[in-house]
Amino acid sequence: MLLSIEPDGPVPIYQQIRDRIVEAIADGAQPAGSGLPSTRQLAVDLGVNFHTVNKSYDLLRQEGLLRISRKSGAVVQRDPGSGPPDPGWVQDWAGRLRTLLAEAAAQGMPERDIIRYCRVATAGFAFSAREGAA
Amino acid sequence: MTANSLAGVITVAFFGALLCLTPIITRPTVVFGVRIPADRAGAPVIRRERRAYYWRAGAIGVCCTVTAVLVAEYGPWWLARIILLPELAADLGCLQLARKKIAAVKKAEGWFEGLRQTVATDTSWRADPPRFPVRWLLPALMVIAATVIVGAFRYPGLPARLPAAWGSDHHAHKSIVTAFAFVVGQLYVTALWTGMLLVIYRSRPDIESADAAESTRRYRKFLAANTRAMLTLMALVNVTLLLATLPRWQIYRLSGISSVLPLLPFVAGLVILAVVAVRVGQGGSRLPRVSAVQIPAARLSLVSPVREARLARAGAGRGVGPSAGPGRSSPARTDRDDDRFWKAGLFYVNRDDPSVMVGNRFGIGWTFNFGNRTACLIFAGIIAAPAGLAAIMLAAGG
Repeated sequence: MLLSIEPDGPVPIYQQIRDRIVEAIADGAQPAGSGLPSTRQLAVDLGVNFHTVNKSYDLLRQEGLLRISRKSGAVVQRDPGSGPPDPGWVQDWAGRLRTLLAEAAAQGMPERDIIRYCRVATAGFAFSAREGAA
Repeated sequence: MTANSLAGVITVAFFGALLCLTPIITRPTVVFGVRIPADRAGAPVIRRERRAYYWRAGAIGVCCTVTAVLVAEYGPWWLARIILLPELAADLGCLQLARKKIAAVKKAEGWFEGLRQTVATDTSWRADPPRFPVRWLLPALMVIAATVIVGAFRYPGLPARLPAAWGSDHHAHKSIVTAFAFVVGQLYVTALWTGMLLVIYRSRPDIESADAAESTRRYRKFLAANTRAMLTLMALVNVTLLLATLPRWQIYRLSGISSVLPLLPFVAGLVILAVVAVRVGQGGSRLPRVSAVQIPAARLSLVSPVREARLARAGAGRGVGPSAGPGRSSPARTDRDDDRFWKAGLFYVNRDDPSVMVGNRFGIGWTFNFGNRTACLIFAGIIAAPAGLAAIMLAAGG
């Protein structure tokens, strides 16, 4: 998995690390059961504070995407093949998605373009074979 | 010319040549300690300063070597070695001159403006870490063992006073510490370099964010080649110390110019290291690229090859995609401009970076992160250990 951040960018570093890992899980680059580097290793490799990586991993753990244990380290817990998410989570996500799409509409982007961009964004995701067939 | 004087001349000539040729082995995106975007590598100021540096450093090397030869012939033996200090200072002055001029143009022309400055890592580095070549340690350890065995046989028959140091006229009382002083040196060199290499194996790979996967692959080769060269040099340093201690144990006697012979293995080790450095370049930058696959400057910061292919397919025929969609307007990706953490372009000081060691900016190899407490402690230990050992030797020698 190639992980890239912009340390001097406007988005907090912990958020960037969290986002990149979520994208890697969606892409299939980090399937369920695969391990991630330890927080110390990733902090060294990105040249950021250890607590920053810890915060990212903690966010992912709270979201149910990561399992962290002393024995096996940080392991991906869910991926596109893990089945449908919790209905409560879907509701929350739909709210955030609406805001994101509203930004495009507010800027004057036509609906068809918004849908095109959504298709492109999800084109690389590793949806399960069952869904693909449906 | 005595052996000691000749060693001084060789040292001055070697470091003169090494510093003159250093820009060849540094990364193309780090020029005289200044980080630059890849597309600025051919900027006129860089070409001009590089040319000027070669001339200046070359002239300094030649002048210092000629001076060293003259003083070796007519002056005391230690004077030739002292010339190394002004030589290093003058070369570093040349480096600073070039660094300041390039940094000024970089700032004035805003080379990093509008670029996405990123830091990248390939997690496969941790999932499949490079293995330290333990077998390459064996030659150095075998030389130490051989030295100890020879010393143990010779020790009972040695006189009550021994030469205090190789080639010196001073003498010290015979004791385990004074007789085996060079074995202590062998152990120090072996333990220090092995320890440092182990720290380096756990450190961050020095990779380019624009091409993280490929530069990680090259860094692996660089690390393997450099480690083997350093372990070879370490074994040859131990051979030099063995050959230097044999006259002290009265096994053979070297006189005149022949007493420079023990230095030959060390010089051979340095040549091997220099050849490897020129072949691989800093961080593997001179190794050939296997694939030209670059991470596109798309909106994606984390891209798997599978996703790349899918995105390409999704974009085809629809008028959108990484090339036609948001990616086209995204600025190009480049390594982060981290000059502010490099004091004088040579010393890395970054308190937020947990790395103990990072890749050198000028030259090949690694340097300490002086903003890291562990790194400072290790550095202090490396400096203090020889002083402590010397004090023990002096105390034991009486």
